[in-house]
Amino acid sequence: MVAGVSTTVPLLIAAVVLVVVVVVSTAIGPASLSLATVLGVLASHVPLVHYHSSASAVANAIVWEIRLPRVVLAGLVGSMLAAGGAAYQGVFRNPLADPYLLGVAAGAGLGATIAIVTPRASFEWLPVAAFLGGAAAVSLTYLMGARTGQRSSGTSIVLAGVAVAALFTAIQTNLQQQHAADLQPVYAWILGSLSTASWTDVRLILPYVVVSGAVLLAHRRLLDALRIGEEEASTIGVHPQRVRLVVVAAATLGTAAAVSVSGLIGFVGIIVPHLVRLTTNASYRVVLPVSMISGASFLILADLGARMLEAPGEVPLGVVTAFIGGPFFIFVLRSRRSQQGVL
Amino acid sequence: MRSPAPSPGSRGALRVEGLVVRYEQTVAVRDVDLAVAPGEWLGLIGANGAGKSSLLRAVARLSPYEGGVHIDGHDTARLSRRHFAQLVAYVPQKPELPVQMRAIDYVALGRLPHLGYFGAEGPQDRVHCGELLARLSLAHMSDRPLGAMSGGELQRLVLARALAQEAPILLLDEPTSALDLGRRVEALELVDELRHERSLTVVSALHDLTLAAQFADRLVLLAQGSIVAAGPADEVLVEGSLDQHFGTRVQILRSDDGEVIVVPRRQRERT
Amino acid sequence: MRAVRSGLSALVITSMFLLAPSASGASSPPSRARASFPVTVLSAGGKVTIASRPTSIVSLSATATEMLYAIGAGPQVRAVDKYSNYPPNAPITNLDGFSINAEALVKYHPDLVVVSYEPAGFVAQMAKLKIPVLYDPAAPTLAVAYHQYLGLGRATGNYARAVAEVGRLKARIAQIVRTTPHVPAGTTYYYELDPTYYSVTSHTFMGQLLGLLGLSSIADAAGVNTNGGYPQLNAEFIIQANPDYIFLTDGPCCQVTPQSVAARPGWSVLSAVSHGRIVNLNADIASRWGPRIVNLLQEVANAIKKYQG
Repeated sequence: MVAGVSTTVPLLIAAVVLVVVVVVSTAIGPASLSLATVLGVLASHVPLVHYHSSASAVANAIVWEIRLPRVVLAGLVGSMLAAGGAAYQGVFRNPLADPYLLGVAAGAGLGATIAIVTPRASFEWLPVAAFLGGAAAVSLTYLMGARTGQRSSGTSIVLAGVAVAALFTAIQTNLQQQHAADLQPVYAWILGSLSTASWTDVRLILPYVVVSGAVLLAHRRLLDALRIGEEEASTIGVHPQRVRLVVVAAATLGTAAAVSVSGLIGFVGIIVPHLVRLTTNASYRVVLPVSMISGASFLILADLGARMLEAPGEVPLGVVTAFIGGPFFIFVLRSRRSQQGVL
Repeated sequence: MRSPAPSPGSRGALRVEGLVVRYEQTVAVRDVDLAVAPGEWLGLIGANGAGKSSLLRAVARLSPYEGGVHIDGHDTARLSRRHFAQLVAYVPQKPELPVQMRAIDYVALGRLPHLGYFGAEGPQDRVHCGELLARLSLAHMSDRPLGAMSGGELQRLVLARALAQEAPILLLDEPTSALDLGRRVEALELVDELRHERSLTVVSALHDLTLAAQFADRLVLLAQGSIVAAGPADEVLVEGSLDQHFGTRVQILRSDDGEVIVVPRRQRERT
Repeated sequence: MRAVRSGLSALVITSMFLLAPSASGASSPPSRARASFPVTVLSAGGKVTIASRPTSIVSLSATATEMLYAIGAGPQVRAVDKYSNYPPNAPITNLDGFSINAEALVKYHPDLVVVSYEPAGFVAQMAKLKIPVLYDPAAPTLAVAYHQYLGLGRATGNYARAVAEVGRLKARIAQIVRTTPHVPAGTTYYYELDPTYYSVTSHTFMGQLLGLLGLSSIADAAGVNTNGGYPQLNAEFIIQANPDYIFLTDGPCCQVTPQSVAARPGWSVLSAVSHGRIVNLNADIASRWGPRIVNLLQEVANAIKKYQG
C-alpha cells in the first residue's frame, strides 16, 4: 500500500501488461510462424485497411481462425472469472469466496453432462446446457438461502450453496456412472480447456461478459460500502441485500457464460483479485477493474502454457491454473498480510 | 450550560412521537416522545440497558419501531434510504473499520447518499472529503490504511465519514467510550465545534454524566425504556433520581463556574 | 473411449501368459474333450482355475463378448453387459462393465466372468464366491489380442476354434495389406477420438493397425507415449501438420461428420478436407480389439484405394 498512488496508475499498468501479453501469446504457438507472418495476417484483417498479406492460407487459418480467437476467449473468460471472484468476495466479505461458491460449477457440470449423455442432443448444446445448469443452481441456492436464513445473511446463502453443489454433483456423478461410455467428453469439459475456441464462442459469451462486467463495475463503490458491514452500509443509503442480489446475479450470469465455453477453470477468481489487493489500495474501485484486466492477462498466459508446455499436445487449462493456484494459495495463507484480514 | 447553536430557520428539527421498540419478548423503548430543535445537542443518559442505543437505532432506522419519527415535518419511514442518509448521519458505538481500507476511501463512503446508484464521485466530492480530513487534522493520513491509525485518529475519521454525508442531524452512540480521558474531552469539543460550524442537530448517548452535562444543551434520562427526566443538566442530574436509576450512590457537586459534576460513591464505608 | 482409458493399464501389463493345463500333457493338442478341465489360465487379473467347462459365462467386456462368439463360445454365454451390442443375438442385460454391481452380477449364477475393467478388489471378491474372473484389459498390440483369444478358448473349452480364429484374422489382415496400394512414404492421418482433438499415436493398438497400411499419425509429434498414446492435440498444430487423411470415431458420441469437420473455422485449408479424405470409422469397432478390426482395416484400405486410384 503505497501512499499517494492514484487509482489510474494500477489501471494503466494492468492495461499495458495485458497488451504485451496479448501480443506475445498471439505471436507464439505450436505452429511456428514468424512474427512478420503473424503481424501480416493480423494487418490483413484490420477493417478499412486494404493490406494483402503474403501469408499463406494455412498461416491465415492458424492465426486468424484458431490462435487469435483462443487468445481473445481466454481473455474474456479470465476477465469474467476474476471479476466474478472479486465480486463474490465483496458481497460475502470472505477473501476465499470464489466465483463457483454458490454452485455455478456444479450446476454447469450437471448441465454439460446432461447435454453429453442425452442421445439426441447435439454437442453444440453443451455451452447452453452448462449455462442453464449454472444459473439454475445459483437460483436454487439463493431461494434456499433466502428462505432459511434469518436476515438473509451471507452465511446462510453460502451454506445453501454448499448443499446445492453437493446435490448437483451427486446427480451428475450418477448420470456419469450410467453413461460410462460417454465419460471422456465430460472429463474433458470438467478439466477446462480452450482447445476448440473459435470466434463463435467469443460471440456467444461476449454479450454476457460485457453486461455482467458493466454491472459489476457500476457496483464497485457499493462493494466498498459493504466492507463496513451491512448495518453501517444501510445508514449511508445502501441496500445490502439488493446490492448482493444484483451483484451475485451479474457475477453468476457472466461466470456461467464463461464456464459454458471453457469448462471448469479454478483459482483465477481467487488468485487474481488477491494479488490485486496486495498490490493496490484494496478499494473495489480499483480492485474490480484491475482484476478484470489482470484476469484476462493471467488466463491468456496460463492458456499459453496449456498450448506450449507439451506442444503439440495440450495440457488441460484447469490443470495449469491449479498448478499455479495451489502453491500460490499456500503462499497467501502463510503471508502476514492475509492474516490481518483482507476485507 | 451553553446556549443552543444559532440556527434560525435551518434544517434538522427532529421529532419523535410515541416511539416503541420491541425485541422478541422485551420492550426496549416504551412510548418515548422527544423534540430536538435545529442545532440543539441532546444527550441521552441512563444505565446500561435503559434504551439509549435502542432509541438511537430506531431513529437511525436500524431497528423496527412503532410510532413516528419526523425530520422537519417529514415522516422518515416514508423517505428512501438514500434521502434519509442525506438527513441523518449515524455513528455506531463500535464502527466496523476494514484494516486495509485507506482513510480517504473510508471518508468517501459518506458521499454515497449524494451519488446516484451508478454514480461516481466527482472532483468536488473528492475535494470535500479532503477538506474534511484537513478539518479533523487527518490530512496527512489520507492514504493511510485504517489498520495503521490510532484510536483517536480513527474516532475523528469516523466523524469525518459522518460529516461527509452533509446531513443536518448527527446521531452518536457512545462516541467516546473507547478513548482515554484526554481524547474523550477532545472528541466532544470537536463535535461541539463542528455542530456550531455546520449547524448540526446532535443526539448522542453519553456514558459520562459530567461530560454530558458540560456538552449537551439538554439531557434525557432513560430508565427501562421510558423517559424519567428531561431538561437542563441541573434539573436532570439530581442525587435521588440518579441513585435510583443507576443503582448506586452519587454525589452532585458544582464547579466554580456553575457546571454540574457527578461523582459516584462507594456503596459501603471504607473498611 | 473406454478402451482408450483402460489401454493405459494394458501397457503396464506388457504381456500375458497362458498356462497350459497341468493335468494334460504339454505335447497333446487341446481339444474340445472334457479332459482339458480343470484348466488354469493366467490373465491380467492373476492365475484363474476353471473346474469344468463353463456354461454360464457373463461377459462384462464388449470386446470379450465379440471374441467369445467368434470362437464358438456363444451358446455358453449367459449374460453380457449393456455395452456388448455385438453380435446382436448376445443376451444383453443392464449390467455395466464400468460400474460393476456384484450383486446384480451374481444373480446370473456365472461360472466364468470376463471383464476388461477391474475395479479394485473385484477379482478377490469374486474369488470368495468361487467365481473365476478373466481380466482382459484393452490390448496394446495385436499379439496381446491374439493371446486373449487363446486364453478365452482355453477357459471355455474352445481352444481349437480360438486357434483357428486367430489364424483367420492373421490371414485376413495380411490379405488386406497385400491388396492395398502402397501409400507414399510419410503419408499421415489425424485420428479424432472426440471433438476436443484427442487423438492416437502410431504406438497405440489402432496406430499399429493403421501402420500396417503405411500410415503414420500426426500425433506422434506430441510424443508417442504422451497420455498413454492418446494426446490432446493443439488445433493449430493439426492445421500446420496438414494430415493426408482424417479418421473420425466421434460421430456417434458427438455428431461429428466429415461435413462438420470441413466447416470448422480454419480447417478448410487442410488437404484432407479439400480432397474429401475424411473417413467415418465405426466407433464401436475402433474402441475394441475384437474380431471386427479387420472390417475397420478394410474400410481404411478402401479409402486408400479410392484416393490412390
